Amino acid sequence: MIIFSLLACASPALAADVTVEVRTQSGAPAREAVVSLYPAGRPVPVAPPGKTYEIAQQNIQFSPFVLVVPVGANVAFPNYDKVRHHVYSFSPAKRFELKLYAREQNRTVHFDRPGPVPLGCNIHDNMSAFILVADTGLSAKTGADGRVSFADVPAGPVVVRVWHPYLRAPDNAVEVRWAVASAHPILQVKVALRPPPPAAPAY
Amino acid sequence: MSGLRAFLRAVAALALAGGTGAARAAEPLPAGFSVVGDIRLAGADGERSWTDGGFGKTRFGGDAAGDFRLRPRLAEGELVWQPRFGWAVTGTIVAAAQTGQEHPIDLIEAFVSVKPMPRGGTRISGRAGLFWPPVSLEHEGAAWTVTDMITPSAINSWIGEEVKVAGVEASIARALAGGQLTATGAVFGFNDTAGTLLAFRGWALHDLKATAFGHQQLPPLNAFMSGGVQAPVTRPALEIDDRPGFYGKLAWRAAAPVSLEALYYDNRGRPEAVNPSLQWGWRTRFLNVGARAEIASGTRLLAQAMTGSTRMGFDEGAGIWVHTRFRAAYVRLSHTTGRAAFNARLDLFGTRERGSALGREESEEGWAATAAASLRLSPHAQVLLEALRVDSRREARLRAGLAPRQVQNQLQAALRLAL
Repeated sequence: MIIFSLLACASPALAADVTVEVRTQSGAPAREAVVSLYPAGRPVPVAPPGKTYEIAQQNIQFSPFVLVVPVGANVAFPNYDKVRHHVYSFSPAKRFELKLYAREQNRTVHFDRPGPVPLGCNIHDNMSAFILVADTGLSAKTGADGRVSFADVPAGPVVVRVWHPYLRAPDNAVEVRWAVASAHPILQVKVALRPPPPAAPAY
Repeated sequence: MSGLRAFLRAVAALALAGGTGAARAAEPLPAGFSVVGDIRLAGADGERSWTDGGFGKTRFGGDAAGDFRLRPRLAEGELVWQPRFGWAVTGTIVAAAQTGQEHPIDLIEAFVSVKPMPRGGTRISGRAGLFWPPVSLEHEGAAWTVTDMITPSAINSWIGEEVKVAGVEASIARALAGGQLTATGAVFGFNDTAGTLLAFRGWALHDLKATAFGHQQLPPLNAFMSGGVQAPVTRPALEIDDRPGFYGKLAWRAAAPVSLEALYYDNRGRPEAVNPSLQWGWRTRFLNVGARAEIASGTRLLAQAMTGSTRMGFDEGAGIWVHTRFRAAYVRLSHTTGRAAFNARLDLFGTRERGSALGREESEEGWAATAAASLRLSPHAQVLLEALRVDSRREARLRAGLAPRQVQNQLQAALRLAL
C-alpha cells in the first residue's frame, strides 16, 4: 500500500531539492532503503565513480548492510577480522567469489551491471549484506530517520523507486509516480517489510 | 587432579581479564583456539542428584536432609580447537573438564566439516567424526552451549548426556518457494547404549555432557539388573553390536519468521548384545519435531516434542526385559533487549515401562519450570541467573527410601567466559 502527500509551495521551479521519507506499515522509519529517481521515467546519467566504495568485514558481519554504488564502480572488501571470510554472490548482476584471508584489505570487485547483489560468506552463514548497483545518478539510501535527500532534481513528473532487501513486493521494490513542483517537496512512501530472517545458531 | 586445579586457577584468573576485555588485547591463545569456562554458585534442595547416584533430576541436590544447600563450583572449562584446512574444510575438537564427569579432562566432540561453495541454488555440506545429532534448538557454538540459559530442556539434556554419535553426516539445502529446505542424513555407530538413562533413571534437566571415554551414573537398580546384568554406570560412546544406526532430518525455514524441523533416529542396536563390562545394546528410536518462531522484535518462541522407545535384553516369553516408551516436550519463550535476555520454559515429560524385568514402578511422569535472566558484560563474559523447579513421580524411588513424588528446586548464578 502506498500513501503519498505533497507539500506545495507558491511558485514553480525548474529544479528542486527533494526529500523522500520511507516508513513501514506501522509508521516506523525504514532505514537502508534505496531510493532511486527517474525524472520523466528515465534514468539520469550516472557520473563516473570518483571513489572506491567498500564493504568491510568486521566482527563477523558485513558493514554496511546496504551499499548503493553507480554502475561501473569498484567496491573494496577489506577484511578487518582475525578470521578468514569467503565472500560470494550468485546474483544476475554480478557472480563472484572472494577468498579473503584474515586482515586482507586490498581486494576489489568491479560492478558493471545494474541490479541488486546479495552477499554471503560461505564460512559464516549469518553474514549478509546487499549492494545495489544503480542505473540512475539519483540513487541513495535512507538514514536512520528513513529519509534521503536529492539536490537539483528536475521539476516535473518523476518515477520514484524504493528498494529494500526485505520489501514484500516483486523484485523487493515499489514504484510511485510523483510530480516535483515546489522548492522543498517531501514525498512519503509506506512499504511493507518482512522481519529479517532469524539467525540460525549452528553447532 | 592437580592438573585440573591449575587449569581451573587459570580460568579464574582469566575471568577477571575476560570481564574487562583486557584478554582481548593480550591475545593469549593461538588462532583457532578458544577457551570457554563457567564458574557458578549453585544451590538446590531435595533428593540426591542422579549425578551422585540418586534419582534426582537436576545436576545438584540438597544436603543429607534434603534442605537447600548453596555451593560455589567451577562447573566447566572447555578447550575448543577449530583448525582450517583450506577454504572448505574445518575441524572441531573440544575437550572439557566438567564437575561430575568421570575423568578430569575428556574429549567432547571431534569432527571434520566440509562446506564447499554452493552450486546454483543448492548447498551440500557434510561432517565426519564424533558429534551430536542436530536435535537441539537450544544449543549453539562449537562448545555446544545453551543459549542465554544454564540448563537445557529435558529433551536436550538427554541428547547431551547419552545421544552422541560417531559417523558421517551429509546435508543438502535448497532455496524453495521463498524459503529454504534442508535434508540431512547420517550413518553412525558408537551410540548403542542410548536409552539406558531414560529407562533406569528417567528424564532429567541438567547440563552435564557425555564424554568420549567417561561414564554417567545410574540410580539404584532393581534386584534383577544389579544381580550381574547391568553395570551400575553407563558408557554413552560405545559400539557393542557392530551394527550402524542412522538418522534423517528435514528442516524448513520460511521467509516468514518460522522454521520447522523433524528428525527421526534409529540406532539399530541389538537388544541382546552385551559386552564384558555389562554394557548392553539398546534398540532406541525416536522422532523429534522442533519449531522456532520470531513473534515480535526481540521475542522468540522455541518448542520441541519427542516420542520414542528403547528396548534391551532378552525376550524369554514374557516380553523383552526392558521396553520403555518415552515422550517429552517443551515450550520456551525468549526476549532479548540489548545485552540482556529473559527466558522462561515449561517442560513436560514421561515414560511408560512395559518390560518383563523392569516393572511398572520404572514409569514416570513429571513437569519442570525454568526461568532465567542473562546479561552480556562484554563479548567475552556473560552473567546468568536461573531458577529451576522439577516435580516428578517415579515409584522406583521407594527403592531408595524416598516418596515416589519428589519436588526439587535449583538456583544457579553463573559467570560464563569465552576467550
